[in-house]
Amino acid sequence: MKKRLGLTMRARHIVQGYSFISIWIVGFFLFMAIPLFRSLMFSFQDLKIMSGGLEATQVGLKHYNNAFTVDTSFVPRLITSFTNIVIQVPLTLVFAMFSALLLNRKLLGRIAFRGIFFLPVIIASGAVLKKLMGQGATRLPIFDQVDLVGKLIDYVPGQILFPLLKMMDAITLIMWDSGVQILIFLAGLQSISTTLYEAAKCDGATPWESFWKVTFPMIVPMILVNTLFSIVSSFTKVDNSVMDYIQYIVFNKSDYGYASSLGWIYFVFIFLVIGAVFLMFRGASAEERR
Amino acid sequence: MAINRNVATTHVSMLKRITADKRAATAPLRHAATRRAKTFISQLFIYSILLSLAFVFIYPVLFIFSKSLMQAGDVTDATVNWIPKQLSFANYAYAFQQLDFWRSFMNSTVISLGSAVVQVVSCAVVGYGFARFRFPGRGLWLALVLFTFLVPPQTIIVPLFLQFSDLGWLNTYLPFIVPGLFGHGLKGALFVLIFIQFFSKLPSQLEEAALIDGAGAFRTFRSIMFPLARPAMLVVFLFSIVWHWTDTYEPSMYLMEPQKFNMTQQLSKMDGEGNGEGAKQLAVTKSVIGEPPTKVNRVMAGALLSILPILALYLFTQRYFVESVERTGIAGD
Repeated sequence: MKKRLGLTMRARHIVQGYSFISIWIVGFFLFMAIPLFRSLMFSFQDLKIMSGGLEATQVGLKHYNNAFTVDTSFVPRLITSFTNIVIQVPLTLVFAMFSALLLNRKLLGRIAFRGIFFLPVIIASGAVLKKLMGQGATRLPIFDQVDLVGKLIDYVPGQILFPLLKMMDAITLIMWDSGVQILIFLAGLQSISTTLYEAAKCDGATPWESFWKVTFPMIVPMILVNTLFSIVSSFTKVDNSVMDYIQYIVFNKSDYGYASSLGWIYFVFIFLVIGAVFLMFRGASAEERR
Repeated sequence: MAINRNVATTHVSMLKRITADKRAATAPLRHAATRRAKTFISQLFIYSILLSLAFVFIYPVLFIFSKSLMQAGDVTDATVNWIPKQLSFANYAYAFQQLDFWRSFMNSTVISLGSAVVQVVSCAVVGYGFARFRFPGRGLWLALVLFTFLVPPQTIIVPLFLQFSDLGWLNTYLPFIVPGLFGHGLKGALFVLIFIQFFSKLPSQLEEAALIDGAGAFRTFRSIMFPLARPAMLVVFLFSIVWHWTDTYEPSMYLMEPQKFNMTQQLSKMDGEGNGEGAKQLAVTKSVIGEPPTKVNRVMAGALLSILPILALYLFTQRYFVESVERTGIAGD
């Protein structure tokens, strides 16, 4: 067999490697690269459904112009989606980190607690979550019971209070949504060698200091992983209005060209966010090295 | 408690003994009793936080369960909070029939199980290729895996929809399963990354031994590396099932005939949407109007039925979900 192809060890290694990933490469073209390219083409076209298939006419940047100038409902949705990411992702990370630190301790019933913390990933997602939201069951009733708004409105200006309360309302959803992130942090925490903590203790570090000097730097890669995961899972979350809207354009309006351009605007905007995240992490790790 | 452990381990090394001496010198200042009280209070504090958090996490289950057992009278009765006045399973009977339970259960099962099986195999093959072979262009393809993970499905949905429609795959299970065959599909890139992580941690002697014994690369993978990847396979399999089961996006794009609806779609079109949610109704659910709105109890019975299968799965495999994530080292960055 070795002689058959007349390949060197190195060449054979390369061929084998490529044959393992070849199915992925084929899939990449079929389900990612070609659709991505076609959707870019579509976004500059008007598509009409004819008996023989689609008929396209070039319209240049019309759809992009419309999205920002004519369509009154897209930009607000984009902004909501953006604020959701900016507010929810950091909160998710903080909460997941907090829970992971708690669950990483030696506790009675640790397994049970972990099982419970992961439960919403199974039950409070997708259609069920939508139904729960419809019933107002995704907010903690405690805020209504004590009439927080009525009590605080005298002291705190509304511009600050209402966004703050909105965040508090979102907190239940954020907690339910952080199951996977908690698991990833837990795995990260468990991979930190205990000798590091012992060394820190020998040097007289308090638990607070050893968190910031040992745990946190060791877990930075997991924070990046979790940030990306949270952003990605926000695309298809039930409260993502861009998703609903594009689907509405596709099905109810059959305006494929416009839907594609909205998809591309969303894509560019998401990649700006992701780019910012990468820059932040690169900056943070560069600072670490200094 | 932590300090006690420290004292116990000090006998191991000289360095640590020195610090222990230091601590011993200051120990009389702090009485053992106050220290014990302190750890007790901090433990109490931690448990109370954990329990209150656990309540928030169990709350949806309690809410669904309690509402699903209520009669119409109980729902509006202000004196009834959690426990219905009389026990009745009428809501379940209603929801069972509304969901078209057995049919949508079959649809959901075929989609979830089918995609999970093909994703486990294909993502393992691809992950192995990335983890164990060094070839030109590897970095580029790896970057593209990450890229695939980050592209919003909204961007490519129109061409994909048209592509599947041209192939006549709408209203079949194929749009879910075929991308899985190629290591794509729902969260496919993430699964590939999990397998890359897992395989790159296995010792390379395994393959060297197999090579010496005359096994080729594919034989080595099939009979040695693939069976070893069981923890990673379990994670991918379980997550794939759960995510496919709860996914609302792809089914609502590719399945339009009510006979082909899966569980989540049947649930979305159940009555009692209420609260102005109707404005956002999709074409799929729009055709179904009728039935008086806000029948919380019935809808919640439906919600419970729709997740019952994966809830049961979770109850039996909970340990694997939680523990195997650690063992596979997803977190290895």
